[in-house]
Amino acid sequence: MENFKIIVFLCNWGPHTAYHDLQDKEYGVPSEIKMVRIPCTGRISKALLFKAFEMGADGVALVGCKSGTCRYGSGTENAAMNTEDTKDILELLGLGNDRMRFSTFLPDETNSLKRFLEDFCSNVKKLGPSPIKPSREDRISAVPPKNMREIVKEHNVFACQDCGKCTSSCPLALSGKQYSPRAIAASIIAEEMDSDEVQKDVWSCLTCGTCYERCPSDVNFPSFIRDVRGCLSDNGYNECHQTHGGFFQSLMRAMTFSELKSQKWNNLPGDIKIDPKSKILFFGGCAPYFDVFFRNHRGIKTSNILMDSLRLLNFFDIQPAILNNERCCGHDLLWSGDRKSFLKLAKLTVESIHDLGIEEVITSCPECFKTISSDYEANGIKLNFKVTHMYEFLENEIDKAAVSFDGLDRHITYQDSCRLARHGKIKDFPRKLIRRLQPESFTEMMDSGNAALCCGNCAWTGCDSFSKALQSKRIRQAHSTGSDLLVTSCPKCQIHLRCAMEDPFLGKEFMMEMQDLTSIIAKTICWD
Amino acid sequence: MAEKRETIRQGVIITGFGGQGIVLAGRILGMAAALGDHKESTLVQSYGPESRGGACCAQVIISNNVIQYPYVAMPDVLVCMSHSAYEKYKDQLKPDGVLLTDKDLVRPDEKRDYFSIPATRMAEELGRKMMANIIMLGFTTAITSLVSVESAKEAVTSSVPKGTEEKNIIAFTKGYDYGLSKIKGREKKVIGRAGAIS
Repeated sequence: MENFKIIVFLCNWGPHTAYHDLQDKEYGVPSEIKMVRIPCTGRISKALLFKAFEMGADGVALVGCKSGTCRYGSGTENAAMNTEDTKDILELLGLGNDRMRFSTFLPDETNSLKRFLEDFCSNVKKLGPSPIKPSREDRISAVPPKNMREIVKEHNVFACQDCGKCTSSCPLALSGKQYSPRAIAASIIAEEMDSDEVQKDVWSCLTCGTCYERCPSDVNFPSFIRDVRGCLSDNGYNECHQTHGGFFQSLMRAMTFSELKSQKWNNLPGDIKIDPKSKILFFGGCAPYFDVFFRNHRGIKTSNILMDSLRLLNFFDIQPAILNNERCCGHDLLWSGDRKSFLKLAKLTVESIHDLGIEEVITSCPECFKTISSDYEANGIKLNFKVTHMYEFLENEIDKAAVSFDGLDRHITYQDSCRLARHGKIKDFPRKLIRRLQPESFTEMMDSGNAALCCGNCAWTGCDSFSKALQSKRIRQAHSTGSDLLVTSCPKCQIHLRCAMEDPFLGKEFMMEMQDLTSIIAKTICWD
Repeated sequence: MAEKRETIRQGVIITGFGGQGIVLAGRILGMAAALGDHKESTLVQSYGPESRGGACCAQVIISNNVIQYPYVAMPDVLVCMSHSAYEKYKDQLKPDGVLLTDKDLVRPDEKRDYFSIPATRMAEELGRKMMANIIMLGFTTAITSLVSVESAKEAVTSSVPKGTEEKNIIAFTKGYDYGLSKIKGREKKVIGRAGAIS
């Protein structure tokens, strides 16, 4: 007999009175139900709702006050929105949205609460146990932890000449934060593990790689920070610096369970042709999850990039395979310190790609590209296929094809993605492609290419007011080119810059249309 | 030799500015037909001032029988690499003839369908503007099938200056691929899939 675990977040006010009444009447609450009493359902974020699933819950119910009776005013509406988003993400993930329910009760609705609990319990039992089953061993690191000394040695941080070029080029330091890469390096070399430089600043680094570009001693600071984060996490310093309550890290850790069958590729538009036997695979990335999570932001439709990429492959007569159970590539976990879950994801992903006999993986996501093409092998996972970024594929195809582009009467500027331009060394392909579009004008921002400013965040870690200042600076740079269209290459650049553009005070003057380069090409390309 | 074959005779006019390598392109085309494909071919080329500027022209005939008269009055294939040359020769093209142009240098006012390639631009991108003729030749080979690819490539290799064979083959292939892609694009347009988003 399986032990089901059902979490019920119960609001302190309306429904708790009803629940109390049930207990007074000696009603036996089903033993599967673990009740968590909370002050208001509106404060149970998507991250908290999902966290329960990540920790192995088979079902989660959020039980609050009837609309209009919320003691704090907006709690019920917030809870309804959060539940809706979380349910949609559960559906995409393959857990099924039936495992999550939101309901509201008045204090005297004892019987309906009873019926609700019984009904939810039997429903979850029908669905069976959740495929996400974290075990105690999972919490203990399976990867031999590296200590700081080894990490310092491996990245040759001793070569630091203390020249300060890193700090003077660091976009965070330049937006006013008391932050210095070389001070972090010095503290770690001195093993001052309790200093602010280690405890706080390690988590603020954008890992954008500008300092690595400038470093005369060639210290790869981003990879150094990545390994330091891994080491700190192994020792239990974790989570507090994650943005969005750690939702995305939870989501990606949930994907490490092999029984989970993702539904991400369901409902592909009918015009897209897929061939399961193809030797070329299109790897999409997590954009569909982002779209659900950020759907209250205006104009975040990053999954269009995946659809447009598939359309472009079809345009060039390639009907690619897709991974039906595609998982996250693991980028965000690797860069936020969870090496163990990263390795699990990497192994599962590579295994399923090898099972299909794939020879080439094409992806349009800069992070997936960087992670699969270089970080997998660096972590000892052998690949039997090559990895190509969409822009390289497009440039090569367009170069030999008789195609033209419908006129694009826009003034364009381009936001480099750090993973593509600096880490992946792909900065010429997107520019060649933009020129092929023959826009009205193409003007580079003040900082571009290797010196490009970051979109303000990486791996959902360490977002603060200085990240915002950095984003504002970037948007101002974009505006001062006189362009009316900001072309991006990474879904996250779009999300982060859009967030900054929705500033309630500067909103109007900041707004600028953003479009992904792949989508623009898909819209305008045609046979000559 | 009692057997009488039907004569398949195609007249080609390649024309453009003097200095674009028009005559060389004509010679390679004729050589490919004669040496590679074992057909008959003739070439009549511009002499005098035209070959140093102005509209220059090469007239090629490819036939499976003996050619009696080498001039082309009404070409089956007209290849234009400059607008002035196009203006001069456009009326001579047979009604069902094929017109090939350089996309950037010729602006045809045609009712009929024609095939264009940015040959000069492509050659510039490859680093040598003077290879535009070879790109055009590759394009012509793909669109018209006057000569086979293998013969054309062989003729290119044996005609261009020593040391530049490889570059010229790259140029030829570029034009050839573009031509194939052009034909593919036409087919897609016919079935109504001209763009990526339908």
